[in-house]
Amino acid sequence: MTAALSPVHYLYSMWSMGLLRSKPKHPVLAGSRDYFNRFNQDLPLEEYEFIVLDTELTGLDQKRDEIVSIGAVRIKNLRIDLEDNFYSNICPDQDMPKFSTLIHRITPGQARKSPPIADILPDFLDYCGNSMIIGHNIGLDMAFINKALKQCLGGILYNPCLDTMRMARIYREEQWINYYDRYNLSVSYNLKELSKEYGLPVFPEHNAMNDAIQAAYLFLYLVHKLQHGSIRTLKDLYMAGRNWRWMF
Amino acid sequence: MQKMFTSKKKNVLTLDTAMVTKFLEKTLPFNELDRDTLEHLARHATIDFFPKGTRILTQDVTDVKHVYLIQKGGVKLYLQDESGQTTLKDYRGEGTVFGALAVIRNARASLTVEAIEDTFCFLFTKQSFLELLKTHPGFSQYYLKAFSENYIKRSFSELRKEKLTPKTEGALYLFTVKINDIIRKKPEIVTPVETIQNAARRMSNMGIGSLLIKDEFGKIAGIITDKDLRSKVVAAGLPYSTSVEKVMTSPVQTIPANRVCFDALLSMMSKQIHHLAVEDEGRIIGVITSHDILVLQGESPVYLFKEIMNQNSIERLYELSMKVPLVVRPLIEEGAKANNITRMITVLNDLILDRILTLMQEELGPPPVPFCWLVTGSEGRKEQTFRTDQDNALVYQDPKDDQEKEAAFRYFKMFGQEAINHLVKCGYPVCKGGNMASNPKWNQPLSVWKGYFKRWVSVPEPEEVLNSTIFFDFRPAYGHLELGFKLRQYLNSLVAGNDRFLRYLAQDCLRTKPPLSFFKNFIVDRDGEHKNRLDLKARGLVPFWDFARIMALRNGIDETNTMGRMELLRQGGHLPEELFLKARESYEFQMQLRFLNQLKLMEAGENPHNYIDPVELSDLEKQTLKGAFSVITNLQSFLKETFKLNMA
Repeated sequence: MTAALSPVHYLYSMWSMGLLRSKPKHPVLAGSRDYFNRFNQDLPLEEYEFIVLDTELTGLDQKRDEIVSIGAVRIKNLRIDLEDNFYSNICPDQDMPKFSTLIHRITPGQARKSPPIADILPDFLDYCGNSMIIGHNIGLDMAFINKALKQCLGGILYNPCLDTMRMARIYREEQWINYYDRYNLSVSYNLKELSKEYGLPVFPEHNAMNDAIQAAYLFLYLVHKLQHGSIRTLKDLYMAGRNWRWMF
Repeated sequence: MQKMFTSKKKNVLTLDTAMVTKFLEKTLPFNELDRDTLEHLARHATIDFFPKGTRILTQDVTDVKHVYLIQKGGVKLYLQDESGQTTLKDYRGEGTVFGALAVIRNARASLTVEAIEDTFCFLFTKQSFLELLKTHPGFSQYYLKAFSENYIKRSFSELRKEKLTPKTEGALYLFTVKINDIIRKKPEIVTPVETIQNAARRMSNMGIGSLLIKDEFGKIAGIITDKDLRSKVVAAGLPYSTSVEKVMTSPVQTIPANRVCFDALLSMMSKQIHHLAVEDEGRIIGVITSHDILVLQGESPVYLFKEIMNQNSIERLYELSMKVPLVVRPLIEEGAKANNITRMITVLNDLILDRILTLMQEELGPPPVPFCWLVTGSEGRKEQTFRTDQDNALVYQDPKDDQEKEAAFRYFKMFGQEAINHLVKCGYPVCKGGNMASNPKWNQPLSVWKGYFKRWVSVPEPEEVLNSTIFFDFRPAYGHLELGFKLRQYLNSLVAGNDRFLRYLAQDCLRTKPPLSFFKNFIVDRDGEHKNRLDLKARGLVPFWDFARIMALRNGIDETNTMGRMELLRQGGHLPEELFLKARESYEFQMQLRFLNQLKLMEAGENPHNYIDPVELSDLEKQTLKGAFSVITNLQSFLKETFKLNMA
C-alpha cells in the first residue's frame, strides 16, 4: 500500500505531465488539456460526466501488445446511460495470439474485419469529451490507449481518471477500520469477485463492453457507499483516500 | 459543462443491449414485447444505484420522471399521513416496477419508496413508458389489471378532486341570499294578554315555532317560542292560563330584511337564539329561524327530505326540487359512489312526486278508481342523475262500467297533464318522445297495459319494441302500487321461456359497439353539436342497461336498478362472479364520470348532458374508461353465448 492511494490518482499525475509537456498537436487533445487545466473539482458529483471504459488486449506487455476492443459507457447524473455508449473491435497490427482469443473470444477473423486503431481513436476522443474516465485498474487501459494516441495523434488524454480498483481498496480499508474484522491481505480486487462480494448484478467477463458496464456498477456502488455516502463532490472523492491515517 | 466534442460517429458498434433485454425478457409484462421494442427500451434505459436506506421517491413530493424496474435489491412502499404515521403498503423485489402509477397519472409519487437493500434499478423515461402503454395494448392491460384494486378507487378520488372545485354551495348561499327572500309567511301576532294555552294551540295549528306579541301601541313587544313553552311554562309548572307577556322574550331581536343570511346566522350564533324578527322600514314582516338558514345551506339531504315531506304547497316544491343538486354535491365531494348518489336523488325525486300527486288529489278530489304512477327509463332504474327527461306512465284499475270508464278517462287525463306541468316546473324537462303520463297512450287501465306488453313480447316489431325498452324498466312509484306489481308479474309470465323475444333484444344489444377504435382510441362524434366528444350514455352506459335488462327479464327478476339486477343475477348464478365484478367497477366509474360532468355543466350554468371530451380526462381516467369500455365486449360475448347467437 502506498500513501498515494487516491481514486483520482491520475488527476494529478496527468496534470503534472500536461504542464511539463508541450501542447499536443491534435486539436481535441489540446482542447482537453486546456479544459482540465482550468478544472473545478468542487462541483457535486452529479454534475460531472464520467465514462467507464475497458479494453481487451492481445497481452499485457505494454511495449509489444495492442488493443483489440474498447467498450465504454457514460454516467450522467450519477446514472449509467446505456444509450450513450462506445464499443468497437480493433484490428491489431500483429496476429492475434491464441491465448488472448481464448480470453475475450474475439477471433482473428473478427479482428481482421475491424478497423485499425488509428480509425477508432478520433471517434473515441470525441466520445470521451470532457468526461472523467473510470475503469477497473484503469492505469493499464490508459497506458495502452495513450500509447496509441501518442503514435497516431501525437498526444495523450488529459481527462482525469478514477480507478474503481483503488476505490474498492479504500472502501475495504474503511470497513476494516470501522469494524473489528481482521485485515485480510489475500482478498481479490478482481472486478467480478468484487461485484459478487458486493452483491452487484454480474455480467459475463472479458468483453470490453460488459466489463465497462460491470465497472460502472461498481463505481456507482462505491461512490454511494464510501464514507457512508457522504461523498458529494469530486474533491470529496479525491480526499476519500487521504485518510487521517496518512498524517502519521 | 461546455460541450467541445461531437457525438460518436462511424466505426462504432452499437451496444449489445443483451444485458438489459435478457433481463426484460424474463420480467412481466415486458416479456410480452417484441425483440425490437425491448432493444429500443434497453438502449434508452439508465441504471441507478440506491444504497440501502435511500428514500427513492417521497409521497406527494417527488415528481416522478422515470419508471423504475428493480434489477437487484428491494424496496418498500409506504404511506405517510399528516400525523407522520406510516402504513406499509408493499415490498417490491427484483423484476418488479415502481413509479409506473405516478407516471401514468402524470402526478407526484403517491407512496414513499425506500430501498431496503442495496438496489440497482433500470430507469425508463416517462415518455418511453407512456409510449409503450400507448402502442402495446397487452402491456397497458397488465398495468390496468395490476392497479385495478386501488386504481379504480384512485380514479374516483381523482375525478372528485379534479372535476369539482371545492366549495360549499351552502356557504355561498349564505353570502348571497337576502333574508327578505327566505321569509315564507307573514308573522303571527298575538296580544300580551293571550293565554299560553291559546298561544300554543295556535302555534300547533299553524305548524310554526314562534309567535310575536304586539303591545297596546301596536309595537312588537316580544316573542314566544317552542322553547319558551317548554322551559318557562311546562318545566316551571305555570298554569296554562298564564298570559304570554309573562313568559315572552323581550325585546325581540331583529334584523333588517335587506341583509344577507350570513348576518342572520352570525347574529343568532352570537346571541345564542334561534329566532330573529325581520324588520323592513320599521315594520316586522316575518320571523326567520336557524332552521330556515340550515335548510338554505342545502347541505343536508335529511333537512331537504323533511322540508319536502312537510310541504303543503305545490309551488314551494318547485324551489325545493331545485335544491336537490345542492344536497348531492357534498356527497360527491365526500366520496359517495354514483350508485348511492343516484339512489339518494331517486328518494328525493320520488318524494317530490309523492307530494305533488298527493296535493293534486287534495285539489282535484279522489280518483274514480285506484291508480299507480309508474316511472320508467332511468327513474325506473333508480338511476336518475340531474334533470333528466321525464319518463313516466299511469296505470289504473280496469273500470267496472262505461260510466266509470268515462270518469276515469277524464280524471286521469287531467291528472296526468297537470302532474307533468308541475314536474316541468320542478325542473324535470318533458320527454321528447312523449313517454309521459300526459300522453293518452301511456295513461291506460291495466288491461290495456297488459295488451301493450303482450304485443311487444309476442310479436316483436323492431321499431316499436326498441322504442319501448324503457317501459321494461318500469317501477311503481306512487299510488296503488299493487297495480304496478301485477303488471310486472304479467310481464314476467310473458317473457318466461320466450326465447325468441329475448334473443331479439340480445341481438339488438350486440349492435352497440364499445366506443374504442382498433387502436384503442376513443370514438368520438365526428361533427355536430358534440363534435369530438364521446356520448357516454349511448356508447358506454346503454350496453350495461340493455345487458342487465335482458338478463333480468330472462330470469324473472323484478328489480329494475342495473346494479341491483346484476347483483341478483350473480346471486342466482346467472352471471359469473368475475364478470359481475368487472361490470360493477366499469359501470360505477362511468356513472361517476357522467355525474361529475353533469354537475360541472350545471354549475357552469349549462344544461347537463352526457357528452364528455376525452381531452379533458387525465391519463388515468382515460385508461380506466378504456378498461370500462372493454367490459362491454365481455358482456356482449356472454350474451352471445347465453342466447347461442353465434349459431343463428
